[in-house]
Amino acid sequence: MDPFLLEAVLNGVLLGGVFALPVLGLNLVFGVVDVIWLCYAELVMVGMYIVWFLHTQAGWPLALAFATCLPAIAVLGLLLHLLVVRPLLAAPPINQVLATGGVLFVLQGAATLVFSTDFRSLGVEMPPIELGEVFVSGTKLAAFVAALLGAAVLWAFLKFTYVGTAIRAIARDREVMPLMGVDPHRIYLIASAAGGALAGLAACLLVVQLDVHPFVGLSFGPITFMICVMGGLGNMLGGFLAAFLMGLIVSVGGFYGDTDMSYVVAFLFFILVMFIRPQGLFTR
Amino acid sequence: MHGNEITRRGLVQAGAALGLAATVPAAARAQGPARGEPLRVGVMTDLSGPFAGAGSQPLFWGAEVAIEMFNERGGVNGRPVQAVTADSQSKADTAINEAERLLGQEGLEVVTGIYSSAHAVPLSGRFEQARKIMWITSAISSAVLKDRHLRYVFRPTVHSDQYAEGSIAFIREHAQKGLGMAPERVRLATIYEDGPYGTGVSSGLEAQAKAHNMNMVLKEAYSATAADLSTLVTKLRRERPDVMLHVGYNPDITLFLRQAKAGGLRFKALIGHGAGYSQIDRLTETFGKDVNHFCNVDPAATEMLDWEKLRPGVGDLAKVFVERFRAKHPMRDLPTHASMGFNNTWIFLENVLKPAVQKTGGMSADALREAALQVDIPVGGTIQGYGVKFNPPEDVMAGQNARSIAVVMQFEDGKSHVVWPDAIAGRPPVLPLPSTNAFAARS
Repeated sequence: MDPFLLEAVLNGVLLGGVFALPVLGLNLVFGVVDVIWLCYAELVMVGMYIVWFLHTQAGWPLALAFATCLPAIAVLGLLLHLLVVRPLLAAPPINQVLATGGVLFVLQGAATLVFSTDFRSLGVEMPPIELGEVFVSGTKLAAFVAALLGAAVLWAFLKFTYVGTAIRAIARDREVMPLMGVDPHRIYLIASAAGGALAGLAACLLVVQLDVHPFVGLSFGPITFMICVMGGLGNMLGGFLAAFLMGLIVSVGGFYGDTDMSYVVAFLFFILVMFIRPQGLFTR
Repeated sequence: MHGNEITRRGLVQAGAALGLAATVPAAARAQGPARGEPLRVGVMTDLSGPFAGAGSQPLFWGAEVAIEMFNERGGVNGRPVQAVTADSQSKADTAINEAERLLGQEGLEVVTGIYSSAHAVPLSGRFEQARKIMWITSAISSAVLKDRHLRYVFRPTVHSDQYAEGSIAFIREHAQKGLGMAPERVRLATIYEDGPYGTGVSSGLEAQAKAHNMNMVLKEAYSATAADLSTLVTKLRRERPDVMLHVGYNPDITLFLRQAKAGGLRFKALIGHGAGYSQIDRLTETFGKDVNHFCNVDPAATEMLDWEKLRPGVGDLAKVFVERFRAKHPMRDLPTHASMGFNNTWIFLENVLKPAVQKTGGMSADALREAALQVDIPVGGTIQGYGVKFNPPEDVMAGQNARSIAVVMQFEDGKSHVVWPDAIAGRPPVLPLPSTNAFAARS
């Protein structure tokens, strides 16, 4: 096999790992609460700033900065639910989308005011892994492994805990579960916190790969939403698989065509999926 | 900027200053000894969004200093210039809406600034239609003016074809001695952001390479907001370029360099083309010595020039500007955009606005246009070294400054040094990249 093609395939798989975590978080929240957090990429951006600030400005060890970022963004997810989403639970979906869209601009504006538009770099690098002609980024590989671990923890939580079972049940039937003694608002809070924590984890993985600035969400936010829809909104396994599929399309498409064209191919594929399986690629 | 240090006090001050700037009307910001009826001039730049960090912010700061100094020196017969500011937020639609506001609600006759070529292309048509002056201080795409015969759009700075000419001429002149090969054997690769800026410069690079029978092994576009460029790095590594030609903003430049380093891409030289590559403080902050001996094509920042060689009085103006700018915005090396913001605004204020108002008593767009076409500044007459003479409407590049000059500079320990053209170069270039550089091609 052409080593450069092999490298492009590996790049695609690693890129899928980057997309997977925010996709899981978004799907978790949407599946349970039935609200799209349009500002999800901006929660990730806030998390990236937290890690950057604690590590480079406050001098905290990176592991401690990461460990702080997760609960901090989980709390932000909780606040988002309590202050913005919960009052609008009975409102038309467009109101909910506009409200979380408003939070997007608030977070971008607040980051601009506090940190300016400068690009902030964490300055952390891992040496590449060289396998003959094939180079694999050490940073991306570490992020990929962490993403898989995060997804595995989420899966175990949903599969083997009582709360996880309740979350899955609510996601399946929002009307019936309250009749069976499950408090939906408590589950919404837990799902929002878990969705926030996943954004926090995504922030930890992205901040070592991308410079942080108030508009960094533009780099991965739109494609994250597209992957969610392609995998089936609310379908976590579908979203997870779609993230890797999209990573491969972008990477291998870019290898055979050009970088810009790879996204055109990805969007065409998305449109095709919407025509053939509007409910999502992996929804039964 | 100067390191990453953010103190609590700094945060509060920055927040307070930005908050204040957002709430205080532009009218209240113009101050100085000039006290008469203000002359209102639009200043539109990108103060938020990705372009802000790629040079648009220092472009605005430079313009601010120019207006401040102009007013301190009495403005025009005692009338101060009042900046009416607009933030185009790195979005073309916002730029268009803000231009409509400045022309409609504010009733301005002239708008200066315009960082991005992606904004300048659509805006230029609107200004021409409205018969109001658009004074471009940064956007470089040749497509803004080429073959359009615009009468109300002026650009004192260089255009994208000049970047390409400078870049390829530099390689041709130094290939044999610096890279140890004939120019025709040098393997060139061009990557560029896919907007009018990147497309304009890269087309020029391709045309220049073809005209000189040089080997372009890869030419590829990418989105400036791309989250991943690792496959592009893979393809570049497959093509083994000797010289990388990169046209980018930021953070795409840092993303590319980071992934290029991790992806094992090595080359003998890298030449950037303004925008993100002109933010030397940021590049050094992120990559340290890894960007040592990278080259960049742009108009010269004034600090790179020997002020003694400029026309009488120009060096003094440059000195005051640099001191004033650095006092307000401490930086190790002033980015080129700071000089561009100051210089191109100063040219407008001193050489267009002042004579137009003195001659007609007002500042109608037509009076400004007449004054602009009369500007005749010899080489060495501005703080960036170039002269000013605008091409007339019948010229293929009407409105372009025919005396603008691009130089090639090289980075070393956070400072930029002019290395081309030889006539004004302060030192010879270091080619190829020394073996200690993380990007240096392995022999």
